[in-house]
Amino acid sequence: AGHRLDTKASGVMVLGIGHGNKLLTDLQNCHLSKVYTVGGLFGKATDDFSDTGKLIEKTTFDHITREKLERILAVIQGTNHKALLMYSNIDMKTQEAYEMAVKGLIRPMGKSPPIITVIRCLQFALPEFQLEIHCLHETQQYLRKIVHEIGLELKSSAVCTQVRRIRDGVFTLDDALLRTRWNLQSIQNAIWDCQLKVKTEIEKTLAPEDKSDFHDAEMAQAADS
Amino acid sequence: KISSAACGYGFTLLSSTTTDITKVWGMGLNKDSQLGFQRSLGDRNKGYEYVLEPSPIALPLAKPQQTRVLQVSCGRAHSLILTDSEGVFSMGNNSYGQCGRKVIEDETYSESHVIHQLKEFDSRVVQVVCGQDHSLFRTKKGTVYACGWGADGQTGLGHYNITSVPTKVQGDIAGVNIVQVTSYGDCCLAVSDEGDLFGWGNSEYLQLASVTETTQVNVPRHLPFKIGKIKEAACGGTGNVALTEEGNVFVWGYGILGKGPNLIETAVPEMIPPSLFGWSDVNPDIRVARVRCGLSQFAALTNRGELFVWGKNIRGCLGIGRMEDQYFPWRVTVPGEVVDVACGVDHMVGLVKSF
Repeated sequence: AGHRLDTKASGVMVLGIGHGNKLLTDLQNCHLSKVYTVGGLFGKATDDFSDTGKLIEKTTFDHITREKLERILAVIQGTNHKALLMYSNIDMKTQEAYEMAVKGLIRPMGKSPPIITVIRCLQFALPEFQLEIHCLHETQQYLRKIVHEIGLELKSSAVCTQVRRIRDGVFTLDDALLRTRWNLQSIQNAIWDCQLKVKTEIEKTLAPEDKSDFHDAEMAQAADS
Repeated sequence: KISSAACGYGFTLLSSTTTDITKVWGMGLNKDSQLGFQRSLGDRNKGYEYVLEPSPIALPLAKPQQTRVLQVSCGRAHSLILTDSEGVFSMGNNSYGQCGRKVIEDETYSESHVIHQLKEFDSRVVQVVCGQDHSLFRTKKGTVYACGWGADGQTGLGHYNITSVPTKVQGDIAGVNIVQVTSYGDCCLAVSDEGDLFGWGNSEYLQLASVTETTQVNVPRHLPFKIGKIKEAACGGTGNVALTEEGNVFVWGYGILGKGPNLIETAVPEMIPPSLFGWSDVNPDIRVARVRCGLSQFAALTNRGELFVWGKNIRGCLGIGRMEDQYFPWRVTVPGEVVDVACGVDHMVGLVKSF
């Protein structure tokens, strides 16, 4: 469920075939972050926060500067940072917390509301702007709402013009197949190429008990190919 | 544009390389005139003991429209200001000769107009460092001079007395080209052009225990750590940090060193895993570029302009959004690229550039 892309969004979407579906579930349980580039446009607000929605309001935006935007982004990142710690359920004063931080495992390993771990401004040319957002447990609509709220914080309004996922856990744009390569050979190669990093990530995150299940699935997949 | 910032014990100095008349601003505690004389608006004959906003510090420059201020440093109750062509200016408490001038018995430091100029060095001074009650000067030729309190051997001059005139430091650094010196409490470290590390001063917290059992080392000693060539080092009150040419961060001494609550003391440097600074297979180009120390805090700046801090979170000085102490490097959310950071006892100042 969490790894889909809604109809208005584009980008990396991971699919599993056969035993790959079990691997996909394991990867979901690693709670890795996803990265999006999000396009925004200042000056109007719509009912669904996107540029194709029903217009609700028009506002001025000449007072907005890149610096002001970056300040808002820093605040967003800061409040989300606190949420990250809270939902990670970890006592920061322990040696265990240190060990987990070294392995990059301080993140919510269970259900949590959407959390933004990194948000930065890639481009700024009024009225347009582009953000890079790293997040967990998000929906694309949540990201559009963030754009809308940024507009409000800057005493104006904004709509989201684009949501493009450039990374889903270990899968980046480079791993993704374009429609022109949706054929058996390319798909087989793609599965083969990412096997190692999928295995590494799952082993790194999941507890030893889960590993035995994983080995069986791996053996079955190897037998299949 | 502010190019240098320094945090003292309860006060701050900011400086710019501008040729405008005002080049240095100060705020905070001024009971020892560590911010110079700050004329009171209410009574022209009195000076402020507390400065509540960055206020200009008037320097007795011969060429105020040409000379530039390159760097500032702050100690417990004294300050040093480095210029490009008029030497070093010192202000504040001089009870131990830390301002590089003769100690005057019963001198009143509050509301003082005294700013002393220091020019007698073997070559141009390129770095000034304030320890708690002592001062270090590094020259272009790679020599180090020291003055001030010496009870812990922090002046490195071979005795434990006070020194009121900047004097050349010898020991293991004699003839060595020193490219960086650091101090904030009573321990000092120096880095040579060849990447070697030297230390002197307080060693009660194992800072120099790797080479001696003496707890007060009054002559620079080479610290033969096998951790690679040192690029930069920073001294805190009880802990030290070193950055190697490879970009690895090592800590030693006593206190919250950055490897969890279990590591409280070590005489031998231990490396902090680079993953804590954001390095990963996904981000293999992240490197720590600078390391800094406050009295009981550490700060590391990466090549991506991110700031990581750890140590005692006195009054929330770590800026992590929590009041608890932080036992390992944690990223500080800043609205821009952090270019430099200055750490004090209970406050921190960051020089930040918009993304």
